[in-house]
This record gives sequence, structure tokens and C-alpha cells, in this order.
Amino acid sequence: MHTLRPQDGELIVHTGKGGAAAKAGHDLTIEVTRWKGTLDHGAMTLTADPRSLRVIEGTGGMTTLGDEEKDGISQTIDDEVLKGLAIEFRSTRVVQRGSRLEVTGDLELFGFKRSLDFALNVDEAGRITGSAFVKQTDWKTKPFSALFGTLKVADVVEVSIDARVPATVAMEALHG
Amino acid sequence: MVELDHRFENGNSVDENWEAILDLDRIIPCVEGGSVIDRTSPELAQAQILVKMGAMSMTFVGTVEVAERDDEAHRAVLRVKSRDKGGSGYANADVTIDLDDGGGDVHTAAQISGKAASMGEGIVQTVLDALITDFTQKLKQI
Repeated sequence: MHTLRPQDGELIVHTGKGGAAAKAGHDLTIEVTRWKGTLDHGAMTLTADPRSLRVIEGTGGMTTLGDEEKDGISQTIDDEVLKGLAIEFRSTRVVQRGSRLEVTGDLELFGFKRSLDFALNVDEAGRITGSAFVKQTDWKTKPFSALFGTLKVADVVEVSIDARVPATVAMEALHG
Repeated sequence: MVELDHRFENGNSVDENWEAILDLDRIIPCVEGGSVIDRTSPELAQAQILVKMGAMSMTFVGTVEVAERDDEAHRAVLRVKSRDKGGSGYANADVTIDLDDGGGDVHTAAQISGKAASMGEGIVQTVLDALITDFTQKLKQI
């Protein structure tokens, strides 16, 4: 079994915005700073510390996000969105097509477990990239809103990974 | 200046609604994020409103006063004067409530400056409209 950690790559969450006052909000890039993934003969797991999300960039708003605002949003994510609840993915099926791995599994989020599909690209040098699209309402959670409901986080958030594993691990993931 | 008109209907008698809207301890918490700090007199209260903006929160602190009242026509003007606690902006408004049997009309004339106003007049109007709509929904249950 091979284990990945933050020093092996980036786990990033991208959020969009909606609502009548969407122009006032920012598209956010949020880094998960504590996480652990495993690759074990085609099976995968990923666990993220729900208290480790840090806003690293906000674009598209009417004002520039300073460090204080970024810290404030990170705190809001912690207090009002994730609330310290476990974030855990465990694959149930992985299908290899060329350099692409099609992954199906269960994601526990917001206290609920639901099925999630996504694809990863693995190159022979050991780089793993891919994105999963998580629709929050599928996990029975209303997207965060502010300004009396006129500014909302988009329901679907993108979670992307860009990590490196030893080439031998990549070859094993691709060819068993 | 942003001006908005709303209406609420709650089926209460005009006298019941008149009593409710003049009671600042009851009416101020009907504004989302609003709370009374000190009821200075029957017609004046120190109050604050916390506005969650996602990226940041703003707290406006100031006074709410029954500036005008016509007991016969059941018409009152609630005057809000507040300043942004963390900045130099302000949010002032005259909220005119004109009651009839079963409900009433709410006319809001607001002036906002500072960080909140930097969102642009269109967004300020949208946000204020949502705030007052929510306020009138709560008046249904007052």
C-alpha cells in the first residue's frame, strides 16, 4: 500500500457563486492542508481533515480578498459548513482505461454517505491528476449563503488533486 | 438613496399590529441579525445589526427611533441611524409603516456608505430588498 500526504501534492477545492448578489462574492480556491490518501492494488481511500481548509485565492469579487478576509472565510467554512464532520472517500470500483482510472466509491461528507464517481489521469512518471464534482445538496446540505440569501456558494464544488507517486506505484495502479 | 416598497399581511387587527410595530424590543429582532442593545426610552433603542457578507461580517451599531407616529392613521416612521463598527461607513434608513386592517405597507428609504456601498447600488438594492422582504415575512408572525 502506498500512502500520499500533502507533501506529495495538492488537494484543492474550487467553489463558484450564485444568487442575485453573486457579483459581490468571490470564486474561491481552497487548499486542504491535512489529508491522507492510499493506493492499494487499485483500491483507493482519501481522508481529509475538515478543520484544515484554507482559502488561498478569491477571484471575481468586487474587492480584493486580504489575509484577514481569507482567514475569516476559512473560519466560516470550519464553523458553519464542515463543522468538523468527517470527510472520507473509499473506492468500491476502479476501472482502468489507458492512462485513465475511472473511480466509483462512497464519500462521507456533512455526516452523510453517498456514491461519487470521478476520473484520475496517471502518467508513467507517477503524476496523478483529476477532479471530482461534489453537489452539496446530494449530501443533504444547503450551500452556504450570505447577504440575506442573495449571495450563495454554487451547489457543485470541484475537488481536484495533483500529486506524485513513485513511478512503480503509478505502473501498478495502471497495470495491476 | 435606495427606496423600496413592501407589504405584509398577517390577519391581525390594526390595533394589534400598531402595538407591535411601536414596541422596539419586538420589532428590531424581526430584522435578520438585528438586536436591541439598550432600550433607552419607549421610543428609542440602541441597536445593532450583524450582516454576514460571506467574505466578512459587518456590524452596524446605532439607534432606532420612533421618529413620527400618527395614532389615528396608524402610520409610523422608524428612523435608523447606524455606523459600521469596523469602518467609516454608515447605514441610515427611514422605514415608514402604514397599517390597515390585517397588515400594512412598508416604505424604506435608505442611505448607505462605506464598504457596504462599494458593492454598487444595484447589489445594495438587491440585498436591502431581501432584508426587508425577510423583515415583512417576520412581521406576519409578530
